[in-house]
Amino acid sequence: MKKILKSKNFTLILILIVLIAVFSFWSSQLGKNFFATSTIKNVLQAIIVTGFLTIGAGCLLISGNMDIAMSTIGCLGLTVIGNACAKAIPGPIALLMMIVICGLFGLLDGWLVSVMKFPSFIATMGVSFIVKGLTYVYSQWWNNGVATNVNFKDAFIQWFGKTNLFGIPIGAYILILFFVIYGIMISKTRFGMKMLLVGGNPQAARLAGINATKVVITLFVNGSILAGISGLFQGARLGMAGLTALSTNQFTGLTAAMIGGISFGGGIGGMGGALIGLLILNTFQIGMSVVGVNPYWVTTFSGILLLGALSIDFLKLRFASTKLARKRRKEVKEAGKNA
Amino acid sequence: MQKSLEFRDIEKNYPGVRALYGINFKAEGGRVMALMGENGAGKSTLLKILSADIQPDIGQILINGEEVHFQSPVDAIRGGVSVIYQERQLFASLSVAENIFCGDLPSNKLGGYDSRQIIKDTKELLDKFGLDIDPYEKVGHLNVAHQQMVEIMKAYRRNTDIIAFDEPTAPLTEVEIKILFGLIKLLKEEGKVVLYVSHRMNEIFQVADDIVVLKDGGFVTQMKTSECNEAMLIKAMVGRDIGDTYSNLVRNTNIGDVLLEVKNLKTLAVHDVSFTLRKGEILGLSGLVGAGRTETVRAIFGADAILEGEIYLEGKKVSFKSTRDAIDHGIMLCPEDRKEQGLIMRRTIRENVAMPSIHKLSHWIFLDKKQVRNLAEEAVEDFDIKTPTVEKVVGELSGGNQQKVILGRWINKVVDTKILILDEPTKGIDVGTKAEIYKLICELACRGISIILISSELTEVINLADRVLVMHNGHITGEFAREDATEENVLAAAMLD
Repeated sequence: MKKILKSKNFTLILILIVLIAVFSFWSSQLGKNFFATSTIKNVLQAIIVTGFLTIGAGCLLISGNMDIAMSTIGCLGLTVIGNACAKAIPGPIALLMMIVICGLFGLLDGWLVSVMKFPSFIATMGVSFIVKGLTYVYSQWWNNGVATNVNFKDAFIQWFGKTNLFGIPIGAYILILFFVIYGIMISKTRFGMKMLLVGGNPQAARLAGINATKVVITLFVNGSILAGISGLFQGARLGMAGLTALSTNQFTGLTAAMIGGISFGGGIGGMGGALIGLLILNTFQIGMSVVGVNPYWVTTFSGILLLGALSIDFLKLRFASTKLARKRRKEVKEAGKNA
Repeated sequence: MQKSLEFRDIEKNYPGVRALYGINFKAEGGRVMALMGENGAGKSTLLKILSADIQPDIGQILINGEEVHFQSPVDAIRGGVSVIYQERQLFASLSVAENIFCGDLPSNKLGGYDSRQIIKDTKELLDKFGLDIDPYEKVGHLNVAHQQMVEIMKAYRRNTDIIAFDEPTAPLTEVEIKILFGLIKLLKEEGKVVLYVSHRMNEIFQVADDIVVLKDGGFVTQMKTSECNEAMLIKAMVGRDIGDTYSNLVRNTNIGDVLLEVKNLKTLAVHDVSFTLRKGEILGLSGLVGAGRTETVRAIFGADAILEGEIYLEGKKVSFKSTRDAIDHGIMLCPEDRKEQGLIMRRTIRENVAMPSIHKLSHWIFLDKKQVRNLAEEAVEDFDIKTPTVEKVVGELSGGNQQKVILGRWINKVVDTKILILDEPTKGIDVGTKAEIYKLICELACRGISIILISSELTEVINLADRVLVMHNGHITGEFAREDATEENVLAAAMLD
């Protein structure tokens, strides 16, 4: 029990509960209902789209890498699906095309990072430009020389966006399923243990016979495909593939994962934390807009939230050691008086 | 005026640990005070307090009889305290001269700094101690021994009243150690207070006048070097007699056939290296830092590319594409740098032990947590790793226990170790644990495991190895049987010019 109370995830859940309480109280004061169906719907849609990014980014972070090309790859994925469907290519095939194309760019990311030894920030920044440009080129090529947003109708693809089960979008169930699968993978499987070890120290992992290159490339491919899935959910509801889809989400997955306690240095963290981080970030953002905080400020506060979450551990330690020093000084002083 | 440094009732606490308490002693100018103690005794913490890197919870520091309160390391340097840490604090992309004068560059008329002046002064300084280092060279291009000397020169040039060395000789070779001792003698003559931390016994008796022993954060005793001997010192540090380290070892008298044969090995760093290793033999690999010892074993282990040459294992030609290949063939490597290459400091003992054997400890894709745990618990028991549980994060263990975790990884029931390569296995490890590790090495040899032992401590190689190979500049320059290996002839082969 004590262990649970001390765990990082417990602290995070507390923060989440406090956030929800604050926003529900605040909005009730303003005569609004934080738990209104429209709010929940908004939260869920945002969570579904950024959730897949969070899983991908979280896995990469655990292995000591980051991918800032994920949002652009997701946008490319959506463009591929949208354009294919608009030309009456069956949905399942469009989905497969997306997986292959996104996977290829993940392979490029992984190759640059683990074989060419680029720092992952730089490699994926380069790839993000390449992908962004190619998205427009691709769109131009499919649409007779004009790069444009596309509307599409495909029952299979739109099933992902329009189906509800017990009033909740199907995407939410799929996302939870993914979180569970990835959570099990990290904590229970061989590959998950390798991820953590490679993230903790790639050199030591390699000298202990772990194929770090393979692990890292796999995770980049995985991240890119998850980005594509995120793009799928972004476009499936409205049946539109926008050329700037996900453009505000370049760092969202990364932020949620880090709030959720996945260490930027790699080797520490899990999917439970990432899920709570995702919920905290989204509750915070939607809550702010429900109570009518100026949207420009919301972005600023999100930054403060991230930094605050990252300093929890540091502050805890700092606080504990100053308290200890003060206590000892007092003890010695009193012992001196008594003597 | 007589210079002095005094600690009064210094105490420092961290949550769960009392790092230092009741530290009371005075070091006089013109004498060298050695700080001794096992890993975790609190020596480094005390030096950090001295340099104001951390603040003590209680207690005072007095310099030349006056109480001082330094707020930061810069403050401490201005107040006359230089500390040379184990981890070098240099700028790899700046020149030797810039590093030596860093923080104190003489300015010129244009508002820049006078590069000609610092080059000239650096040259003088280096020549004074007979160091063959180019002042223009970037520090990142120097070998570790020379980097360490630059660090020492940097502190020496500041000309502070108090100068503290934390394990200064760890990366040095015999040549530089001589230079360092000359420098310390000079500091003594200038009447400065010198603090010296080292695990190497013979150095302490060579260089120190007084010795302070710490144990588990507390002060044990202060004595004059002239009035104590090695046994007394070890007893004070360890708290018990450990006996003569080498003479009580049980050696393998039954050395078998050739197990490994390396023929004309060539990599980027080594040339034409050939040798054999027999079953149950301890083969010592000696040489100066940068002689190509580490590179040789890394190539055999499949960690570095082999350009030319052949390796035969049990008579069969092998070529390892990866470290995994080597491990599957029974060749294991404990790397030189525990923190950077050996362990995953943020993960638990359990994970660090099971690391190379994950595939053997699972069902289909799932880990068998119970088996993993058992394996680690056995390692903790077999190697006497001091920890309450296998779930402890490796970074929180002492150096000796960390090394034992690596040994536990390579010697257990799921891996079939034929050859164990130990690269500097006792670096930065205290005497008590060192003795344990020597005993382990001999036990393993008796069990028929062949061992390649790399060590910069000559006495270690000479006393443990059945045969010593000496390397210089990427070549093998000498081979001695145990009977013929003396410090003189091994050193002569190592420094061959």
